[in-house]
Amino acid sequence: MEVTVKIFRYNPEQDKRGHYETYKVEADENDRVLDVLELIKGHTDGSLAFRRSCAHGVCGSDAMRINGRNHLACKTLIRDVGANITIEPLLGLKVAKDLIVDMDPFFDNYKKMLPYMINDSPLPADGKERLQSPEQRARFDESTKCIMCAACTTSCPSFWASDEYYGPAAIIAAHRFIFDSRDEGASERLQVLSETDGVARCHTAFNCTNACPRDIHITQAIGEVKLAMVTGKLD
Amino acid sequence: MGLNRNVDLLTGLRYKGQGPYLTFILHRIGGSALFIFFTLYILTLAGVEFAHALFSNALVQIVIVVLGIFHAINGLRITILDLFPKLIQHYRVAINIEWAVYILICGFAIFVVLRSAAGG
Repeated sequence: MEVTVKIFRYNPEQDKRGHYETYKVEADENDRVLDVLELIKGHTDGSLAFRRSCAHGVCGSDAMRINGRNHLACKTLIRDVGANITIEPLLGLKVAKDLIVDMDPFFDNYKKMLPYMINDSPLPADGKERLQSPEQRARFDESTKCIMCAACTTSCPSFWASDEYYGPAAIIAAHRFIFDSRDEGASERLQVLSETDGVARCHTAFNCTNACPRDIHITQAIGEVKLAMVTGKLD
Repeated sequence: MGLNRNVDLLTGLRYKGQGPYLTFILHRIGGSALFIFFTLYILTLAGVEFAHALFSNALVQIVIVVLGIFHAINGLRITILDLFPKLIQHYRVAINIEWAVYILICGFAIFVVLRSAAGG
């Protein structure tokens, strides 16, 4: 089938503002949008810039707006988006070139969540593992699935309004440790999240949940963090 | 150097966030309607003539009722989901229930406004 692809283009060395270019390519309906981008870059226009790495929905490099909504290009099939495709960079982050955005503010927010295990208690008597029951592990299982693709954060209207807002992905990173029974840094993280740019800026638009390529119930996780912040309970 | 990060209103509105995002947008519009409602109400109490005329207009009343009631019911849904995060996974059902309740209440409110405007 012939696919018409309209792609946002911006070259910082030439353009003052972005524009769109349209390409027509032959593709199978079972091809992915990433395949189409590779086809264009390889055969039609080598100057097209986009991120990709694993191409299998694990690395989270190729998040972009496809037909007006955030997706991973490597997980989006042509048959699901149709023969007319518009591809644009993620919203709310500076466009560096074409479909590549500057992820620095996103990762800065991530770092503020102290995304590492905090536990200064002595090791258990056997000197080995800090054990955890399957139930305790299941408590934060959802939030371990995050691949940091930024599809959620850049679909959030609160983040569009201000990149000072930590955003759903950072809160998910905090959730992963806050509800980990082995971690002792929950109060520090909840303190960070209770600040002006924290969870209070989530207005439950659910764009993050709908955009997540890993089907994480992000809004629910944010809700759990909000409740933990108010009640001080981590159950 | 890169294009700035600003997301203008139209671009934001064009994001295809489906039903929940629509309720988010309508909630903001409803909040604005309530602001207009309270402003008109206060001006009417203060005896400002044009405010009184607007406040008595059936069309203005219907617009405010339609948007204001949505704001109230959507706010109630958000509050319930905030208080019981485990229910958030059923957000689509919650939104469907919200629409059903909204249509019932709003229909009744419009009927009352129209009956009142007709001198009933």
